[in-house]
Order: sequence, then structure tokens, then C-alpha cells
Amino acid sequence: MATHESPGVIDSKFGTLGKVWIAFLTFLIAAGLVAWYQQIQTGLIATGMRNVFSWGLYIMLFVLFVGLSAGGLIISSAPKFFHSDKYESLARFGVLLSLGCITVAGLLILPDMGRIGRIYQFFTTPDFRSPLVWDFSIVVLYGLFNVWYLWLLTRRDLAARGSALALGIKATVAGRERDRKLAFWSAAIALPLAVMLHSVTGWIFATQIGRGSWFSPLVAPTFIAKALVSGLGLLLVTAIIADRLTNFEFEEELRSKLGKYLGVFLAVHVGYLLAAERLPHAWAANFDFWAITSGFLIGETSFFWLWTIPGGAIPILLMAIPSVRKQTWAVFAAGALAVFGVIFEGVRLIFEGYQAVNISDAPGITLGEYGGIGSDIWAQSGVYTPTMIELVIAVGLTAVGALIVTVGLHYLPIQRRDMVTESIADGGKNE
Amino acid sequence: MTKYGMVIDLERCIGCNACAVACSEENNVSLGQQWNRILTEGGESKDTPAGSYPTDGRDGTLSMDHVPLACQHCENAPCVKVCPVNATTKREDGIVEIDYDKCIGCRYCMAACPYNARVFNFDEPVTLPTDGTGNVSQREQGVVEKCTFCSHRVEEGLDPACTVACPSDARIFGDLDDDTSRVSRYIDQYETEQLLEERNTNPKVRYIRGEMSPGRKRSGNELEGTVKKETGNPNVESVSGGD
Repeated sequence: MATHESPGVIDSKFGTLGKVWIAFLTFLIAAGLVAWYQQIQTGLIATGMRNVFSWGLYIMLFVLFVGLSAGGLIISSAPKFFHSDKYESLARFGVLLSLGCITVAGLLILPDMGRIGRIYQFFTTPDFRSPLVWDFSIVVLYGLFNVWYLWLLTRRDLAARGSALALGIKATVAGRERDRKLAFWSAAIALPLAVMLHSVTGWIFATQIGRGSWFSPLVAPTFIAKALVSGLGLLLVTAIIADRLTNFEFEEELRSKLGKYLGVFLAVHVGYLLAAERLPHAWAANFDFWAITSGFLIGETSFFWLWTIPGGAIPILLMAIPSVRKQTWAVFAAGALAVFGVIFEGVRLIFEGYQAVNISDAPGITLGEYGGIGSDIWAQSGVYTPTMIELVIAVGLTAVGALIVTVGLHYLPIQRRDMVTESIADGGKNE
Repeated sequence: MTKYGMVIDLERCIGCNACAVACSEENNVSLGQQWNRILTEGGESKDTPAGSYPTDGRDGTLSMDHVPLACQHCENAPCVKVCPVNATTKREDGIVEIDYDKCIGCRYCMAACPYNARVFNFDEPVTLPTDGTGNVSQREQGVVEKCTFCSHRVEEGLDPACTVACPSDARIFGDLDDDTSRVSRYIDQYETEQLLEERNTNPKVRYIRGEMSPGRKRSGNELEGTVKKETGNPNVESVSGGD
């Protein structure tokens, strides 16, 4: 949209569309805050959660956004670690996106708390046995690391523009060389940090013996796979949008190459890992060959189908065909569908934990809601539908992430022109 | 060392819900919640049997049992291990306790508990009368709560409210570490089971099935091994001897 060039800044001036977009995001954030205020006033009774189904949309989306934050950081750090410039044009954009996502993930925990004012106790009286403490620590660490990494990658260019954000760093050639080394070491930290983040988030669930299929050693590797899928999916979608609407350039070759990777990640996640999870159960529970086969292949819930067909089979198919993979629309659709599928994988995980109750004899479990004399306070299985308040809060917090990315594109040198040409000269054949 | 535990004789339990009512009353539990639930093993709804009614001179197959279910005060309590802020802890005497002033309301403990023993104050608690009942102060909205083995009573040398309320003497409470206590002797003498034993939570509540026990000898409200008390109310000074 904006065509006013300033070195490295993608969107140096917000056009009409940019202004409308920011106004829209601000509106969503404001609506989210109003809804949050209302939720604090009425308590968590304002949500669809009850005693039987005590985690809902906030946790489902927390898991999603933790996963989404993976793509950007990995795409910017993995090549650096292997001393490759191939994905350099995406590096800063990736970290910015990662920062936006992990911020949303961290924020999503807050409205889930019954007593938000006491959250400081995470620091004052933590129990180090709790996977939530591990995860809280690593989310904060990961967020801070993203800030550092983004600053490291952009600070020399910020200095060149005389930006105060350079914090006194000078745009010298020697400095840039030093930063290259620092970026290598930061990348060496980024990769294990990302692996830890997704594993620990998985272990929140995988350590629990009380919630059906949560207790599985496969959960952590699956979380890594889904982080790669959804993170790369989101990166592709946002990079294509940024390419269309701003001066950001997303080269065609990178796009179809990353589309191919997306297909591979999807095959590992929705194909292999799901099969590895399901086959032993299907085999042990059934006797006839066809019963085993259908037990293996046929899922029980709509979430399963939403995840595996639109979120798995279709994008895999799109990315498997080389001529389709070259099309922008196909990569965009595959990325969007991959994220869509992972949303439902997360929904499925939470439902698997809460739908069935271990000791489900009548009358069941109290809901925690009293509707007056004669009202039924019991439930024998978990049901959950998010309320409008939950949805508005969740959308508002997501808008915070979108705003971070938008503002980042505006103020930070996210892509240097010479970087793009450099990487094209390096390995690109197009243009 | 003292380690409190409970034996519940399912053969003696008549499913009257007296313990559940006594629990809610004593602990000021909101009307939307119940710490102590009496589950029906049998039909699809409460107090209904499984099987079929006897017809044409044949034997029926009706069967029904009641299982009172509250916090199991597990030795390997998952709720304690997951609490991020140390609001849920296991006391020296084995009682799993919640510090309601520390709880941040994250509900990870509810996810962790395989018995669904924990409830959360989603709403403002509702009691009748409105200023509450019993001898425990009301928990505020936004925290998790559950059975405490009536720790406030136990500390005063009284049995838990459910144990006292049971008209069929199905509940025995006492010190598991003391081999001579009634609860230990019952575990020794009768076949007891723990709920969801395979999850390795090692509950300190055990259930008798099959052979009926003689039950708790009803002599008063006091905890075994403590002096005889005139009152069952821990907030009223107890005197031995009476007036």
C-alpha cells in the first residue's frame, strides 16, 4: 500500500487501509477490555466453563498461540544457525510474528484466572513441581528472547535511520559483523528454547493421569509438530498478506519452498503422529481386520474431522502438487487451513480431557452454578460452549498480537531492500 | 506421626445423603456445589438400580450401591503437584489443604484430580441462610475448594461432620499410622479398595465392599483417642463431664 520508501521499513506511512486496519484492531481491543471488565465484575460464571469442564477457550487458544509463535522464530533462527542467508528476507518478519503470538499466548492466561490479583505469587511462592510454573517461566523467557532477538536483528538499521530504538548502538560495518556472530549464538539458544516451550506446554497436559488421553508421552512431540505446522502456516499467510498490502517482499521461490515444508510438517503431524497415537489403541480394542482398520481411521468427533480433512488432507494435497504449490492462493489456503486444523486439534485435546468423567455415576458432579430451588446442579459428562464474553475477550487479545505485528512493520526495519536482492542473487532464480 | 484417613463401608451405606448434607452445612458450601457427593452405582439416574425387576416367578437382577465420594486426600496428590503457587499443600497429618487466600483460581488442580473432587466458585457462593452455615467461613468467588476432612474439627479433637452424621455407622475416621486405631484395624481386617487405584494416587480414603463391617461404635462426636466432649461444635468451648 504505502510506497514511501525509507531504508528497510516496510510500511513507512499508513495508507487509508492501514489506518482503517489499526482503527479496527483498536476497536477489537477496546471491546475485549470491556468484556474483560464485565467478566471480572461477574466472575468466571460469565464463561461457559463449569466444574465438569473447567478449562475452555482461553486455554485452547493459549495452546494455539504458543504453537503459532514457533514458525517465525524457527524460520529466522534455523538458517542462521546453519550459516545460511536463504531465508534472510523473512528473518525479522518471523521474529516479529513470533513476538506477537507469544504475547497473545501469555495474555490469554490472564482472563482464565479466578483471582488475577494474586498472580504475582508465580514469583513469590512457586511450586517447581508444577508444569504450569515451568510453562509460565518459559513463556516469559521466550517472549523476552523474541524482544532481544528482534532488536539484535534490527538495531544496526535502526541506528542507520537515527532511531532512538537503537539505544545508542552505532551502524558500523564492524558492528554488523559482530551482530552476525551474536545472531548465530542467539539462534543456537532459540532452537532449544522453542523445543522446550512446546514440549513444556504439552507436558501441562501429558503429566495428568486424570484426563483421558492427555496422559501420553506422545503429547510433547505432537506439540512440536503442531507448532511447526501452525507456526509455518501463519507465517505463510501473514507474509503473503504483507507482500500484497505493504512493501514487504515475499519471494515466489521461498514461498513455494516453504509451502513444501508445510506439506511435510503436515504429513508428520496429521499423518504420522496421529497414526502412531491411534494404531495401538485401535489394534488392542478390536479383533477383526476391518474393525481394527476402521477403529484406526475413523474418528469419533467433528473436531477430529475438521482437523484431519480441511486441516490436514486438503493442504497436504495442495502442497504435494508442484504446479499448485507455485500459486500464491494455494500456499495461502494451505497455510490458513493448517492453522484452522490446529485450532480444532487443540479443541479436541481439551474436549478429550473433560467430556468423559472417570467416576461418572449418577447424579455426577456439581456444576458450580445455582439457579434457585429445584434447579439441577448436576452433570455426568462435560459440555462446553464458549460465551460471547469469552469470544470477545479472546478476539480482543488476538488483536493485540495483530497490532504488534502491524506496528512493527511500520516502525522497524523489517526487511532491507539490499537483503532481498542479496538473497535473490545468492540462490534465487526468479526476477 | 499422625496420618489421617477414612474407611467407608459401602455395605453399610444406605445412600441417605446425611453425610452430604452435614458436610455442606458444616463447611458452608454453596448451594451450587457439593464437596461430598453420594453416587449411585446402578441405574442411569440417582437412586435407581441396574438390572430388571423380578417377573413370572423368576429372580430379578436389580442391584444398586451408593458410593460417597469426596476428596480422597491422596498421598501422591496430583492436585498438590500441579498447584503453581503452593496454594494446595499436603499437611504433616496427610490432609490435603487449600489456602484460599493464595489460590489464584487457575483450576489446574481440577484438571489434575481424577476424582473430580474439587469445585470452583465460578459464581458468588449462595447459602441459606444467606450469611452462611456451620463453622467454616465462606470462600470467596474465584477460588477452588474441596473437602478438608473437616480439619477445623479434627484439630479440636472431633470427628469430621460426615462421620458423625452417618446414621448407619459406615464411616470410620482416624490415624492410619497408629496400628491400634479403629481405622487401621478395619483396613487390616476387611478387604478395602482405593478408587482408581491404577492411577497411583494412593488415596487415604478406603472403601469396604463385599463383607459388611460392624461399623463405627457410636459413642460421641470426638475423634478417637481424644477426651469425651459435650458438644460437636468446634467453636464452642468443649467441657468433659457436662453440666
